[in-house]
This record gives sequence, C-alpha cells and structure tokens, in this order.
Amino acid sequence: MPGLLSSPVCLTVIWFLSWSLRPSCAQILTDEVSGVQYGHLESNVTLACGKSQIRIPVVWHLNHSSVLPWHKVTSDGSLVLMHVDHSAQGIYSCYDNQGLLLHSVKLRLGHPPGLLSVSCQVPNHTYVRCSWVESVATFLPAQYNASFRGSGQEWRPCVVDIVRKHCDVDRPAFWQTIHTLRITATNALGSETTYARFKLHELLKPDPPESVLVNELEGFPKRLIVSWTFPASWPLHDAFPLVFQIRYRPLGSMYWSEIYSEESPVVIFDALAGHLHQVQIRARDEVNAESQWSEWSPLLLARPWEVFTTPYPTEEVPPELFFPINTKPETSTAKSHNPVLEDEGSLGLVILLVLFSVVILITVLSLIYVMWVRQRRRDHVTKQELTSMVKMKSMPI
Amino acid sequence: MKLLLDSSSSLLFSLLLAQLPVFTSASPVPQRRPSDMDKLSNQTRNLMKLTQELLREHAFDSDVEPHRFRSLPEMGNRSANDLSNLELKSTLSQLHADLKLYEHHFEWLNKVSKKHHHPAVPKLVEMIREMKSLISLLHRQMQRVEAPRLTPATPSLPPHLPYQFDVLQSSHELLQHFKLFCDWAYRAFISLKPKVTAVQ
Repeated sequence: MPGLLSSPVCLTVIWFLSWSLRPSCAQILTDEVSGVQYGHLESNVTLACGKSQIRIPVVWHLNHSSVLPWHKVTSDGSLVLMHVDHSAQGIYSCYDNQGLLLHSVKLRLGHPPGLLSVSCQVPNHTYVRCSWVESVATFLPAQYNASFRGSGQEWRPCVVDIVRKHCDVDRPAFWQTIHTLRITATNALGSETTYARFKLHELLKPDPPESVLVNELEGFPKRLIVSWTFPASWPLHDAFPLVFQIRYRPLGSMYWSEIYSEESPVVIFDALAGHLHQVQIRARDEVNAESQWSEWSPLLLARPWEVFTTPYPTEEVPPELFFPINTKPETSTAKSHNPVLEDEGSLGLVILLVLFSVVILITVLSLIYVMWVRQRRRDHVTKQELTSMVKMKSMPI
Repeated sequence: MKLLLDSSSSLLFSLLLAQLPVFTSASPVPQRRPSDMDKLSNQTRNLMKLTQELLREHAFDSDVEPHRFRSLPEMGNRSANDLSNLELKSTLSQLHADLKLYEHHFEWLNKVSKKHHHPAVPKLVEMIREMKSLISLLHRQMQRVEAPRLTPATPSLPPHLPYQFDVLQSSHELLQHFKLFCDWAYRAFISLKPKVTAVQ
C-alpha cells in the first residue's frame, strides 16, 4: 500500500484532482460570508480585510458593487466607513489586485440597548406578566434576562418570551409592599439593565366577567335579567371575592344606571319598556379597594319583554323567580333591586298592619267598655237622685 | 270611683300605645347573628379601612424599599395558593402572634408621633384600640378551637427618630405593611370560616 501511494501515477492523479477542484472552491468562497460584524450607527466603522497583514493593494465591494459609502482604505487594506447610516449595511468583500476574494463580511448597524419601558399586568393574585418596549430603536436583535422579587426577597426568574417581549412570574409573593423587576437587554453592541418597581396590589386588575347574558323576563316589560361568570383567570375561592358593577341605559341615552352585586344574576327593575338597552359589566377585587376595575365586558343589547295583544300584567314576582335570583345588589338609585327582600318587607308590613288593627280594635273595645261603665254609673246616680226626690216629695212638710 | 275609672282607661290606652313601637320594631324575619369568624373578618376590614384612611390623609409618596422595621411579620412566604389550604389552629395562632407584633410597632409609632405632635395621633389611637379589640376577639376564638398561643417575636424598633421626616417615613412604611397584612388576614378569616363551623 505505501508503494501504491508513492507511485508517480498516483501522485499525478492527486495533483490533478486538487488543481481541478481549486476554482470550484474559490467560487464557493466568493458567495460565502465569513461572519457578521456589528457597528454603531453614526460612527466610523473599520472592516479588516481578513487577518492578513500583507500590505497589498485591495479592492472593496459592497454587495458585489464597487460603489461604497463615504470611506477610506488604510495601508493594511482595512476599509474605514465614515459616519455610517443604514445604507452602509450589507456584505463587504475585499479582493486582491488579481480579483481573488480575500475576505467577506456582513455589516449590521445599530445601537446598544437603552433603558426599557416596562409595564406589568396582574390579572389575579397568582400571576404577573411584565411587558416592555425599547426606549431606543436598536435595529439589532437582543436577548433579555429578567428576574423578579418582592422587597427583601431573593431574585426569582421571570420567564421571558423574546418574540413578544414579555416575561411571566408564577405565584409571586403578592403581599409585599414593593416588587422589583430587573431586565437586562443584551445585543451585539452592549447591554443595559432596567429596574422597575411596582405595587402589585395597586396593579391588580381582573379580566372582564365572562359569559355575560342579558335576557328579558317574560311578563315583565320593565325588567331585564343579567347573568355572568367570573373571569376564567380569577381563582374561584372564598378568599378571592369579586364585586361586579353592571351599567345599563336605553339605547340613545347619555346616562348610565348602575347596580353593584357580588353574585350573578341581577335583575334590572327599571328598564324602559319597549326600548333596546345597552348593558355592560366589569369586576374588581372586593377586598382590595386600591385595585383596579377590569375593562368593561363587550356591550350587549337587549329589550325587555313586550306584549302586543294583552295588557301589561301587574309587576309581581312569580314564585319561580324567588329561587334563582339570590342576589345582594346595591344600587346607585334608591330603588331596591332585590325581589326577595322586597317580599320580606311586604310580609312584615302585612303582619304589622294586622297587629296594629288588633291593637286598635282592643283600644276601641276598651273605650266602649269604659264609656258603658261610666254611663251605667251615671244612670244609677240619676235613679238614686229621683228616688230621693220622690222620697222628699212624699214627706209631710 | 270616677277618677279611678278615668285613670284606668287612660292607663290602658297608654299601655296599648306604648306597645306600638314594640310591634313596629319587631322584624318578622329573625336577623342572623354574625358568627365569630364574621366578627373577626369585619373587624379586620375595619382596621384595613382605618389604615387606608391614614395613608390617604397623610400621603407620603415613597417608592423606596422599606427598611426601618426588620421585625414585622414576614409576608414573603404567604402566597395566594396557601389561602386554599390553611390549617385552622396554626393560622389563628400565627395571625394572633402577628397582630401582637403589629400592636407593639403601632404603640411605638404612637409614642414617637405624640413626641413630634403628628396630626395622625388621634386616628393612630383609634387604630390601636381597634387592633386590641381584634386581638381579644381572635384570642377568644383561639380558646374555642384550642389553638395554641405562640410567643410573639421581640420587635426591633428604630432607636431614635430625630426628625419629623423620619416619623413620616416610618409611619408610611408601617401602615403600608399593615394594610397588606390586613388584606391577607381578611382573606384568611373568610377562608377559615367553613372550617370553624365544621369544628364547632
């Protein structure tokens, strides 16, 4: 085998093969970029013609064109681009005086990261999402590293989504006075760390209530029934009550009426008969008065029940309504929106009236009795007087 | 006799009239008596309201991380998930110890505020009174469920506050901290309510 390799025929074949392949390798190199170089916009950028220190005249091309932005070429063949702007970006290639490609590099221009503008969303007590926007347009891809902590706590990672530029913290220590988010943005030209402080209890803002429905109540031309569910992101637990604000108005009116309730459904008692109404609902943490109201739910349109052939029925709550409408609403108007309590009140009034009638009756009977006794006594006295007068008359003078 | 009859009739009438308010005030539906846990949560809410009022009335805009009080109850280890599996006795005992610690801090704050003639003093006095009332309510509840009483930690209080600014800053820090504690405690009481009912 060694004899075979050292044979002149074999050596000739190897030389021929290497010679014949050389131009094709050079062709590949022509289109190949050896790397990416990053530069600061509005500054001078130097591109070296490879690692060679040989002082040979070189020719630079930008994207295969000999037209270059404002520049100079140094004695070692480096290209110095003066006060670069975006148009200077591209693939730079340097060739020797025989047209042989020596080096090729892609130039990208931008700025190092600046401070970030951060905002956090707190849809419940167990989750925080912080988003950011760059205060400086860097024009370069960046990496982000984010951590989160409560006052006096250890840093915890905030899980970053680079594409959407946000990070998530699961189960933060919510009951802390101040929380800090630390984000370090890094790109090819540098890095910058931003610290943002938050009060989570003030940022707490539930998502809007869901499955909102507004329906008519058959037989009641001035009522609408509104039902909803807790936002899916809110924990369904006693420890996290929500208060809901329902607002409604006849279509075209400027003024909203409001009802507050902790439970669904709620009955609107003062709808305008025969009119379409706009209804919306929003939610807020019931315990923390410093938290924020959710956004309003989408506007819903509903019309109270209408009758065309029969006159309106009396506004009585049918017995079947007593059970499902177990609400404790408060309202900005003086009207009560609670049929159950209304009914309890009227029952009390009836009992009171009956008792009062009994009292009056007893009083009247007592008075009649007293009058009768007095009259009887008076009659008795008169009788006695007459008797005595008769006696006196019959007496001899 | 006439006089007697006259007076008896007026007496009868007066008696009947006197009964009227009794009839009118009597509610046909008996009011539900608030449970002890209701009282605890209501009292906590009341304290939270007082704290918020104090913070609002003596606003002190500060985003500086609090640092003066190192011995306040630790809130960093209490998460929302904990509220769904609270243990009755240990939670009541812990809340009692925490409240005792806050009581010490607020008594100290009241003392230094008086020294600096701070206008918040009357409300601070009211707060301490309400806090004591909550502590005693809580202690009664603990005795009922046989929850042990923990030894409260020794408070480490700032030694000397030379300026009014220091008092303001301390007050702000303490109130902010206590407001969040009340928020958590209120949620804990309402979460524990079914458990107390089950025990009793």
